[in-house]
Amino acid sequence: MQSWLDHPAVQAGGVPLLVALAVAAALSRTRWAWLGIVAGYAAMIAMSSGFSFSPLTASRKVMLVGLLAPVLGIIADLALKPARWPALALSAVAGVLTVWVFVSVLQQREGMAAYGAAAGVALFVAALVYATLRQRDDGLRTGAAGLGLGLAAGIVGVLSASIGYLLAGISIAAAAGALLLVQVVASRSIAAGFTGALPVGLLTALFATGTLLLAELRWYVLPLLVLIPLATTLPAPERARSIARAAVLAAYALVAAAIPILAAWYAARGSLS
Amino acid sequence: MSKRLALLLLAAVPCAAVATDSYTLDPYHTFPTFTVDHLGVSTIFGRFNKTSGKFTIDRAAKTGAVEIAVETATVDTGDADKGSRPRSRDEHLRSADFFNAAEFPKMTFKSTSVFFSADNPSTIDGNLTLLGVTKPLKLTLERFKCNPASGTSKERCGGNATGKIKRSDFGMKTGLPAVGDDIALNIEFEGLKD
Repeated sequence: MQSWLDHPAVQAGGVPLLVALAVAAALSRTRWAWLGIVAGYAAMIAMSSGFSFSPLTASRKVMLVGLLAPVLGIIADLALKPARWPALALSAVAGVLTVWVFVSVLQQREGMAAYGAAAGVALFVAALVYATLRQRDDGLRTGAAGLGLGLAAGIVGVLSASIGYLLAGISIAAAAGALLLVQVVASRSIAAGFTGALPVGLLTALFATGTLLLAELRWYVLPLLVLIPLATTLPAPERARSIARAAVLAAYALVAAAIPILAAWYAARGSLS
Repeated sequence: MSKRLALLLLAAVPCAAVATDSYTLDPYHTFPTFTVDHLGVSTIFGRFNKTSGKFTIDRAAKTGAVEIAVETATVDTGDADKGSRPRSRDEHLRSADFFNAAEFPKMTFKSTSVFFSADNPSTIDGNLTLLGVTKPLKLTLERFKCNPASGTSKERCGGNATGKIKRSDFGMKTGLPAVGDDIALNIEFEGLKD
């Protein structure tokens, strides 16, 4: 039993999927169903590395920010009127947070290299978060983006010498898959709001940034990840049944996810370095 | 008489001050090495290729001190060429899954006490700091010998020290239990007298 629970596929895929399904199903009549994303992620942490915040390394800051992101999302959903500026503001906050998360790594670099790297990762995270937040009112689009982003972040992680970020990315993909499933079964879209879209975008962006700064990911893979939430904004049959819409949107996301995965694979093989 | 005693004491002070001998680690002859179990069937051997530090010995007072800094990015388990694989083992060891060399470029050992057996140090109590976590570590000196200075060569002291840690104590949990938790350390070292 223990060896089964120690298996990465169970820790990153099976258990987060089941936990996210349970939370989403229980809260399916509200947008708090999207707390299933952070619940799935937390389940993966509990089964793999455990919750520890001391010392507060960059990876632990990613975990902390990820666990707190839904709280920020809930506050934004309850307190802010629907408009464009909250998404822009939260994206900017995400960019600044990224520098705080990885400051211990960035400060190892000298001079302009440190500032350049800080600006680059902040811009990437802000862009990815904004691209995800833009579709927060459509639960199927957010779910598909989460599926693609999680898979891409996880696979580029393992291709770049990081099993930790493989598990993290796959847990987000599994949880997003659970949210898609709940919406398909309920035959309706459950708007993600900031509560769901912010953790999806922010976590996967931080995983990819961590893989860049702490493992062997090449920098040019990062902007390719932004293609995934852009792809899920493509037209989907709006009057079709939920299962058809979900399938089309998931297909967009997976095709877009193949691009950064292929880039990371070629880089790992030395073909593009 | 008291003047003579005072003069003798004054003369003795510089002698006491130089009773502590200080040595700088020779980076070309100092290598911390480790072994770890793999899947319960074999042992992986590794070492760090860049180390710096100093140690001091006061044989009269039977005290001493050690400070070592090891560059984690120089970890070497003989697998640096990834070939057709996405990554080599050494690349993985440098990542955040293990030594996290980008965030913690050094691990350090600082002694708190040095114990002597006859005229030579035999055990060293100290603290190992790895991945930002500091835990006590006891090192046993299996061998310690000094070659006196000759010609243009300085006095050289060296030997090897062994110890054991659990990597999970420092937050390094990736791969457990397939890759063992118990790490056996062996530090071969040489130092030149300052």
